[in-house]
Amino acid sequence: MKKSTLLLILLLALGMVLAACGGPAPTAPAEPAPAEPAPAEPAPAEPAAEEPAAEEPAAEEPPTPEPIVEEPVEAKTLTIASGTDVENLNIHIVTSSPSFSVLEHIYETLFEMNPEGVLEPLLAESIEPGDADATFILNLREGIEFSDGTPFNADAVKANLDWVLNPDNGAPFRFLISRIEEVTVVDDYTVQLTLSGDFAPLAAHLSHGALAMVSPSVLEQGAEFMASNAVGTGPYLLESWQRDEAVTLTRNPNYWGAAPMIETVVFKVIKEDGARLIEIEAGTVDVAVRVPPAEAGRLAANPNIDIVTTPGLRTIYIFFNVTQEPFTDVRVRQAVNYAVDKEAIVTALFDNAARVSDAPFAPPIFGYSAQEPYSRDVEKARALLADAGIPEGTTVTLYHPTGRYIQDALVADAVRAQLREVGLNVQLQTLEWPQYVPFVRKEAPDNEVQFAMLGWGTPTMDADYALYALFHSNEIPPGFNGAFYQNPEVDALLDAARTELDAEVRRDLYDQAISIIWEDAPWLFLYSEVQVTAVRSNVDGFVIHPNERLIATGADKN
Amino acid sequence: MLTYIARRLLLAIPVLLGASFLVFTSIRWIPGDPAIAMAGELATPEFIAKVRSDLGLDRPLMVQYGIYLQRALQGDLGQSVRSGLPVMDEIVSRIPRTLQLATISLIVSVSIGIPIGVISATRANTWIDGGSMIFALLGVSMPIFWLGLMLMGFFAVQLPNWLNLSGPVLPPTGSGTWQHFIMPTIALAANSMAIQARMTRATMLDVLRSDYVRTARAKGAKERIVIYKHALPNALVPIVTIVGLQFGTLLGGAVITETVFAWPGVGRLLIDAIGYRDYPIIQGAVLFITTGFVLVNLLVDILYAYLNPRIHYT
Repeated sequence: MKKSTLLLILLLALGMVLAACGGPAPTAPAEPAPAEPAPAEPAPAEPAAEEPAAEEPAAEEPPTPEPIVEEPVEAKTLTIASGTDVENLNIHIVTSSPSFSVLEHIYETLFEMNPEGVLEPLLAESIEPGDADATFILNLREGIEFSDGTPFNADAVKANLDWVLNPDNGAPFRFLISRIEEVTVVDDYTVQLTLSGDFAPLAAHLSHGALAMVSPSVLEQGAEFMASNAVGTGPYLLESWQRDEAVTLTRNPNYWGAAPMIETVVFKVIKEDGARLIEIEAGTVDVAVRVPPAEAGRLAANPNIDIVTTPGLRTIYIFFNVTQEPFTDVRVRQAVNYAVDKEAIVTALFDNAARVSDAPFAPPIFGYSAQEPYSRDVEKARALLADAGIPEGTTVTLYHPTGRYIQDALVADAVRAQLREVGLNVQLQTLEWPQYVPFVRKEAPDNEVQFAMLGWGTPTMDADYALYALFHSNEIPPGFNGAFYQNPEVDALLDAARTELDAEVRRDLYDQAISIIWEDAPWLFLYSEVQVTAVRSNVDGFVIHPNERLIATGADKN
Repeated sequence: MLTYIARRLLLAIPVLLGASFLVFTSIRWIPGDPAIAMAGELATPEFIAKVRSDLGLDRPLMVQYGIYLQRALQGDLGQSVRSGLPVMDEIVSRIPRTLQLATISLIVSVSIGIPIGVISATRANTWIDGGSMIFALLGVSMPIFWLGLMLMGFFAVQLPNWLNLSGPVLPPTGSGTWQHFIMPTIALAANSMAIQARMTRATMLDVLRSDYVRTARAKGAKERIVIYKHALPNALVPIVTIVGLQFGTLLGGAVITETVFAWPGVGRLLIDAIGYRDYPIIQGAVLFITTGFVLVNLLVDILYAYLNPRIHYT
């Protein structure tokens, strides 16, 4: 074969590779937006916006007086540097908070839990107990359409709830509504839910993003179609999803509520912490999530960047297996609580971007009631251990994940060091995350865990979710009550609170349950996470929800 | 030559089969259950069991592999455990991005690394040689991760501050314009360029001392002709081998660059998939990388013949 032919072949091959480099068209189409940002027809009813309704579209900067030839108002784009891509676009299937952040701009739920922990109506106007026992009536907001023109009505609600309830669809959050036995269409805008028993947190559970309303036209095409198509009733439409790169949303011109001021919202996937920081410093993104606490101070000094801290819903704890020596004795469990200096951990390892626990869950959650913290008291801890007859130098094994929670391995090591001071010799054991959870959830005879670190998020912002699975005796492994904690009094209170429909009575029941749990100390109570987010200072009204959702709907940019 | 190519391509089939079998079986030895990873932490044991049977993980390994192979031959690599999307889509959408970055970095590194090597060799032990080799040493020793972040910080934050610009000189991450290629290319090319420069210098020094070069000089050929026409093609044979290997590695291994610069390539897909125990994606990505290696190796062998007519394939 002649050299020239060979060279030609090689060049052709190279050419083909380079042809592939054409790449997608630039992501930001510079099409001029309509001069007016889609005049917001006065919303029929005040949309249950979760943001302080400070923004009025009319309050936009007045057009410049000089009557130059119609200069189109520049379409505003808000870019959010997110750490992870959406898993897919099927809101009934995804589980990560970055997915819900993106998808809840497209999809809406029946109720909305606002950042203050107050439940507000959204696609539903109200929920009330039905005539029969254990039934609830949902009254839906009228006159709403999905962005493909399908009407939002009782049939749509039934289709969605039935989809999630169907075990074959494998919806991971099915358990939130698994007590619903039947969904009945009463009329166009009324749905009756028949439950297996009264269930007070129902409305809070229906506020979870996984139960948002998907257009029935998408639903009927099946899971694979739903994974890459999104049609909802929300303020934004899906423009594009470039996997591992960005999701671009554009304003829904027919949105039933107040029109957002930002035309385009881009969720850009930047996994590397350092790269996200550089982007926000350079001003190429407007919001950057998960700022490492050690960098927060430096960024805050930049006049163009605001550091926003938001209490999180995830509590990190170490549970004691109360069926394993030496933690069968409440004095030992309390001693460990006294021995560990939570304040020092939060200061030294988190630069204060965490909150020392004073209850088994974090303050934004309904039912929270602050207890007297177990402040560090080495003498008391030693006395309790001596009382319990625990000899100096007793060895215990602490299991902990590595890299699953912020600083998890370092926290475990700090606990080890502090327990040494009261005479407990801690051995640390770590497992990879996919093995870790099944290991600490093993059933009774095989479960050899003495104490182990875990985290628990409460996305429904209701105490039932935060307490029942962790402290009720029905939930001992393979459930999540890894402590094997059983207290009939607590069981009774949690059961009662689950069916009590009066919010104040419920709150009181949880208050009682929490103080018993606090005293029984089935956990070493540690801290709850705090989200640290960097936002460019020219952005207003951007909401960071305690449940880690980022909400651009009420935001504006100058 | 054409029969040779055809035979090599046929030989690729058992290689790919072997690789897919190895990956298929070995990832099942990694501890960690994809059914749990997929079902999520909140899943009930029954649901995990259902996921396991849906994925076919409860069947014997050989049966699983047989089914996988049968589907793969029809172009169906299964569905991603994490996203529920077809593996084929997931990989195909990322291949162009990986190819772009790998090809451009390779072109840049070759067009800088080899000339540096030649110049160093012809001016061995001068300050030019010393300077070039220090430059090369820097390239080898700088971790891509660090270099990437430094470049980003410099072009996106520091330089605009000094020049009082309102925006970054180069976009830190993302894609869409040619500017987006600059920093990832530098980060990725620095290392391979340095290796090529050192390699070229060493082999060139060797070749320049050989008899036929002395003969060429003796017959009065110009020094330029001696170096570029007589010496370089021979010296290139081992370099082409290295470059081929580097390209193969780039196809599957630009993970760090892809992560730092948020570049959605196959490497990142593979690493993420390992974290999630996303078996179908891991298998698909490794299959792609193996195919890339086989093709690059073939290309390298063909190049040998082109560079050195004494190498013949029949």
